[in-house]
Amino acid sequence: MTRSDRDPLLRVARAVSHAGVWLSGALLVGAAGLVGVDVVLRRFFDMSVGGADEISGYVLAIGSAWAFGYCLLDRGHIRIDSIYVRLPARARSVLDVTAVFVFTAFMAFVTWHAWGVLDQSWSVGARSISPLATPLVIPQAVWLVGLLSVLFAGVALLARAVPALARGRDAEVGRLVGYRTLSEELETELEREQRLRGEPRR
Amino acid sequence: MIPTTVVVLLALLALSVPVAVAVGALGLVLDQLYSPLPLSRALGEVTWSASTDFLLVAIPLFILLGEILLRSGIAERMYAAMVQWLSWLPGGLMHSNIAASALFSSISGSSVATAATIGTVAVGEIDKRGYNERFFLGTLAAGGTLGILIPPSINMIVYGVLTQTSIPQLYLAGIVPGVVLAALFMLTVLIGCLIRPRWGGRRVQTTWSSRIAALPDLIPPLLIFVVVIGSIYAGLATATESAALGVLAALAVAGARRRLTWPVLREIVEGTMKTTGMIMAILVGAYFLNFVMISIGLARTVSDTITHLGWSPAQTLVAVIAFYVVLGMFMETLSMMVATIPIVTPIMVGMGYDPVWFGVLIILLIETALITPPVGLNLYVVQGVRPRGPIADVIIGATPFVVTLFAMIALLSVFPALALWIPRSAMR
Repeated sequence: MTRSDRDPLLRVARAVSHAGVWLSGALLVGAAGLVGVDVVLRRFFDMSVGGADEISGYVLAIGSAWAFGYCLLDRGHIRIDSIYVRLPARARSVLDVTAVFVFTAFMAFVTWHAWGVLDQSWSVGARSISPLATPLVIPQAVWLVGLLSVLFAGVALLARAVPALARGRDAEVGRLVGYRTLSEELETELEREQRLRGEPRR
Repeated sequence: MIPTTVVVLLALLALSVPVAVAVGALGLVLDQLYSPLPLSRALGEVTWSASTDFLLVAIPLFILLGEILLRSGIAERMYAAMVQWLSWLPGGLMHSNIAASALFSSISGSSVATAATIGTVAVGEIDKRGYNERFFLGTLAAGGTLGILIPPSINMIVYGVLTQTSIPQLYLAGIVPGVVLAALFMLTVLIGCLIRPRWGGRRVQTTWSSRIAALPDLIPPLLIFVVVIGSIYAGLATATESAALGVLAALAVAGARRRLTWPVLREIVEGTMKTTGMIMAILVGAYFLNFVMISIGLARTVSDTITHLGWSPAQTLVAVIAFYVVLGMFMETLSMMVATIPIVTPIMVGMGYDPVWFGVLIILLIETALITPPVGLNLYVVQGVRPRGPIADVIIGATPFVVTLFAMIALLSVFPALALWIPRSAMR
């Protein structure tokens, strides 16, 4: 266990993010089922579930929003590291914290405008132009909650990474917000594989 | 306008700002500098419409499909079957590497996933059978790149969405070049092993009965391929719908093998969402940047500039290929695609090139980028799965296959029908 695993703030952020990702994953599998069944019914039986495309679109928006935060906590967002890897640890820490700050700030801006979209849908009572005529505030509200979870994740990471940076703890900054190098990535991947292989095979 | 854009983008990327934000922030900067109206007000609306786009739903679905296959042991058995059937050729398992990669590519949309999966399974054989390590690693890195050429392909979805090109047509267009390229890779192995027989390692002993016995292991991947690509070819399903069918088929296969335990499902969901978050963040940023670039007329300025050079279509094509080969050495491929394709493709189409054909060409260039140093993701993936040794081994081993890719690019440029034949025949 590293220090960041025990930190209550980060644990809450990770738990929230995991829950959202789990729910989104379940929704995604559900959307696959809905779209798949819809195709088969439509092509072979001339029937339709109706609105499968629309609903899966909402699932994508909601799932992506939650996934942004999950990916951030997991240090998974792609960064160009051509120069980064050639810098000393201190400079890398500064770039790491900057990266999370810029990401969070940009997402705050997106969230602010997403709020505008929701507000607009609410005030005009907007419904989707489809047989479902979904009141758009419903999916948009869930989407907004997902975006807020990204901000929460970003702020939580900054709350821990900025003090660590100020105290010169570069290793801790690296663990919190450093760019996952590919070898580290593959190690986790191989560990996962081994954990799965440990499962009784049948 | 053009120099400012390039400088701002390069500066943001050099500072290792996440690509998604670098692209989005570039949109905000351009908006501040060049737009009479504040375009950033549309950020919410653009994000919402991009992330509810039914076409893009195909991306998490194909990622999910790949994760299910990866974690249900289908790939391992497939590789073992390929070993039975192909190891008699000079070069032995190196042919199995390429054929297994090609087959895995036909059910996975990602080159990294293909290289990682086949690489993990195959890499232990190098010492066991005395292969030339570098060449063997090269086949893994190069074979992996087939992942995005042979449909399904996540990168083709990205291209299709950014250029409004039909994704089903792109998929169909990738089949023949994918098979030809796999054959050329195997030819490269063959030539290498005829020149230097010692590279080939020791023969695997097989019998016809064990070959026959391995055949059932090829059924699941073929079944999924037929579901995904067959439904597109027959015009039954769009890209997203075929992805959904593929997910259902993969779940059925994994379920039938009793591999869908809770821990496995957890790994599948978490892996899927992480990759989805990474790709969707970049795409949302790219959508906004495109919106700004079109609104302020940047796209047109660039294409006017190119037109004023007075180059012929053929000269432009050579310049574009050179541009991507060089850029591909230094840039991560998804970032390279979202940053350049919305500008380059309209220029090429304006000169009379077919957008579907150009899409396949771009995918080949992206494949080249994946195995050219210093930034070539597949090189690092293969390096990551081997127990020891310098990255230079993988780089040197992949070099012959870079030459093969150049040959394929030339072939596709001279014979566009390689890509366009199947989509045109499906349209009829």
